[in-house]
Amino acid sequence: MEGSSSAAREDGRYLRRLKAASTGAADARLVFLCNFEAEEQWAVGHTGLPAPRFPVSAALVRRMEELGATLAGPRDVLLLSAPLDEDFRAHARAAGAALPEVLVPERAAGSASTAQAVLDSPRALAELTRLAAEGAWLMPMGTSPLEQRVAEVTGLRLAVPDSATFERVNSKIYGRRLAAEAGLREVPGECCVQVGQLADALRSRYPAMAEGRPVVVKDAYGVSGKGLVVLESPEKAERLLRMVGRRAERTGNHRLEVVVEEWLPKHCDLNYQLTIDRDGRVEFDFVKEALTENGVHRGHLMPSRLGEGQVAELREAAAAIGKALYADGFTGIAGVDAVLGGDGVLYPMLEINARLNMSTYQGGVTERALRPGHVALARHYALTLDAPCPLDRVLGALGPLADPEGDPAFGGARLVITCFGTLNALAGESTGAPFTGRLYAVLFAPDRELLAAADAAAEKALSRIASRGEPS
Amino acid sequence: MDRSETIAVIEKCLTEVLKHEVTGLREDLRLFDDLHLDSTSVLELLMVLEDAVGLEIDPENLDMDDFRTVGTLADFVERSLDGAN
Repeated sequence: MEGSSSAAREDGRYLRRLKAASTGAADARLVFLCNFEAEEQWAVGHTGLPAPRFPVSAALVRRMEELGATLAGPRDVLLLSAPLDEDFRAHARAAGAALPEVLVPERAAGSASTAQAVLDSPRALAELTRLAAEGAWLMPMGTSPLEQRVAEVTGLRLAVPDSATFERVNSKIYGRRLAAEAGLREVPGECCVQVGQLADALRSRYPAMAEGRPVVVKDAYGVSGKGLVVLESPEKAERLLRMVGRRAERTGNHRLEVVVEEWLPKHCDLNYQLTIDRDGRVEFDFVKEALTENGVHRGHLMPSRLGEGQVAELREAAAAIGKALYADGFTGIAGVDAVLGGDGVLYPMLEINARLNMSTYQGGVTERALRPGHVALARHYALTLDAPCPLDRVLGALGPLADPEGDPAFGGARLVITCFGTLNALAGESTGAPFTGRLYAVLFAPDRELLAAADAAAEKALSRIASRGEPS
Repeated sequence: MDRSETIAVIEKCLTEVLKHEVTGLREDLRLFDDLHLDSTSVLELLMVLEDAVGLEIDPENLDMDDFRTVGTLADFVERSLDGAN
């Protein structure tokens, strides 16, 4: 497979643009640290909805760091908690990825995060210090105190803002206030910072709720799908108020940082990306249709089916959001969630994720494999396994769909795996007990119909290697 | 409340949260993987359970193991009721 490699030998346009905006130099050398757990760090000290602290997916979220492999260029470095699988390397190269140099800190085993592993590993620190001296930059997904510490200790310059800036601009309360000040059409709702405010906000909506207009309560620092609750009835709202009220009485802490919004009937969810360069210039990168179920992210369809006027409206919103973020000290990439309401009204700012996004990391694969006029679906397939599953078994099940030439049965549709480490990430935690892993992929096809058929075929093929249960 | 009554209450609560009929639950069914409960619906399930069995649950003191299967959730409910009485 290595022999048939079509791997790029230099950075693609997308990566060069990212580098130019973040560092001022299109040929900068980046050290990627894809810390998908950053949002949990920013949430520390902010009281949200009561939630069980389930560490269920920590190991899995961490292994999403491999998504950086198909974005980074051949001169870049990717920090990982475990080496890249050799078969995955071959698969990614066949899809045109140049693959960066991988640096695994020597004390990665048992560490809580890859940034912490770096800080605990003298050899990795020495290597990063050497890279810093050569002018390399640190490119985390977003900066939390740990990544900031890595930059300080090694001398790597941060290609993105500091931890305090990230924490400030990633609150949903901040996002709603920014949208209001920028004059963007907002989803009706309000911000709360005290339990009493939530009670007032909810109770004022009881008549509407009783008429079938639900509201959603979201943590200011909720992570995709966690920390939100949809309330369809006053009875359910009262249940929530009882629970938060009890906690406040017990702890004496009456703070509660949430936003309350109408749960709009929608045509589709949208996600767009903007890049703010170091001089404050804002570029609109792309818009995709986001697939969500009950607020949980399921994938992205690209390109979106928005009309020109709707895209123009998003471009204007991106310019306004970028300008406001820059004025608040933020530069780099931000993803924005938007929604096209069931009544055709576009709400251009539902939530700002001022950090690298899933879409950002898929940019390299998409740039190389998405042909003009074709469509793509980025998603993950969940597989329940009872033992680690090697990549060749996955590729064998997928058959021609995973070949670089694509599957003639679906008009040449092709599936590119973007993260393999997450499939077996939880295998180590359970001896023989079933675990659910995730296979991240982007599927390319000539049209939506073939895309849907190829996706269904991939799901069916993968379900055959799942040991029990159905893929979801 | 005997075991079958506890399971029946859990079925009723899951029906409300998952918005489809849940009946005939086996105790070894896994809440997340088999029944597709997700992190969003856990809070909802707790709220509904509180009402259904008259318990006060502190979500932040919950153990992941309590939510592994229908059976472990039933154990949790029974333990909590014993503690409350």
